[in-house]
Amino acid sequence: MTTHDQMLDSVAAYALGLLAPPEAKVVAAHIESCDRCREEYRFLQPAVTAVAYSAEAPSGESGGPLLKARVMKRVRADAARRSRPGSWPIYAIAAAALALAILTGLADLSLYGRLVREQAALASQAQMIADLTAPDSRHYRFAGGEVLARGERLYIAMRGLPMPPPGHVYQAWTLVKGATKVAPSVTFMPAGDGFAVVRLPEAATMLAAVAVSTEPEGGSRQPTTKPIAMVRI
Amino acid sequence: MRRVRAADADAFELLYDRYHRLVYGVALRVLGDPVGAEDVTQAVFLKIWSDPSLFRGGNFGAWIARVARNRSFDVVRSHAVRARGEFPESLPADDSLEETALAHIEGERVREALAALPAEQREPIELGFFGGVTQEQIALRVGVPLGTVKTRIRSGLRRLRNVLEGAVTV
Repeated sequence: MTTHDQMLDSVAAYALGLLAPPEAKVVAAHIESCDRCREEYRFLQPAVTAVAYSAEAPSGESGGPLLKARVMKRVRADAARRSRPGSWPIYAIAAAALALAILTGLADLSLYGRLVREQAALASQAQMIADLTAPDSRHYRFAGGEVLARGERLYIAMRGLPMPPPGHVYQAWTLVKGATKVAPSVTFMPAGDGFAVVRLPEAATMLAAVAVSTEPEGGSRQPTTKPIAMVRI
Repeated sequence: MRRVRAADADAFELLYDRYHRLVYGVALRVLGDPVGAEDVTQAVFLKIWSDPSLFRGGNFGAWIARVARNRSFDVVRSHAVRARGEFPESLPADDSLEETALAHIEGERVREALAALPAEQREPIELGFFGGVTQEQIALRVGVPLGTVKTRIRSGLRRLRNVLEGAVTV
């Protein structure tokens, strides 16, 4: 058997979900670069799905109406909460709050130097509003909010965030595509009403995931607490 | 899924009706515990509701079955630390290919197709998929070299794939 035949066997094991993460990573990378193995993987996928379907429960033996009622009760309650007039999409709330901040800032301007500084900040905020409200921005639901991406720009918008414990802040984390460890991003605090909108400096197209955790003031190099929110993008 | 992403509860209910037997069945087969299978089913569907962006295209049934399997193994792991492989949930599938192959798929038909495989191919596939054991552990159980197990798994999957397509060539 050739080495490549052995790799094809590994592709089958990978498709079936049998490989431990380190070996799976190697095989996945090979599949991306090898036409023959990619074709084999695509060919075998339906067979693997069929194996899963072989376990499909008969009607009436799958938790029944009580399980469905439990699930749908929570889903409908959540859908009703989201559809209430006061429950705007978080990006709309974020945009409105920023617009108000801009108007307030203009009213307070009195010195030219301050105007220059404010103009830079306002331009950044205007960009943020445009991104948050743009129809082509991508929204990823995040615990208590959303991650929004538009082009390379990336934002976290959250509401209902409690103040972190004394001496602590919230910190964003990013996972670069292909990386195995998250990298530290910005730290932030929610406003008094639990609202926070933060622009992350990382390029959105380079990332595979974003997370937020509570960390000591000044931030951490690695997460020291379990993330309160995490989303793949 | 487009309507589910827009928080349409009615659309989500249709999704639940169509796929809950698959999710529950996979969880029950892995866990062997109806209560645990219900918990996994509930967790999988609520996760999809709260974060529909997790599904990034491809065949939804294939994807949700993989999620159910992985979540079931999470439950097993929480009780005992065992090395297990996880499905590559994120590797893109070929929609058209899989949709064609899985058209009109039914549990009973697939069970018959699986049962028709030679035992030496069927057993490692089922052990690996639902039992979560490694290929090395399968080799030990069956008493054959690791390379033989790998080849049997691939041969079995290819045979099953051909049966699904209605063209048995193996």
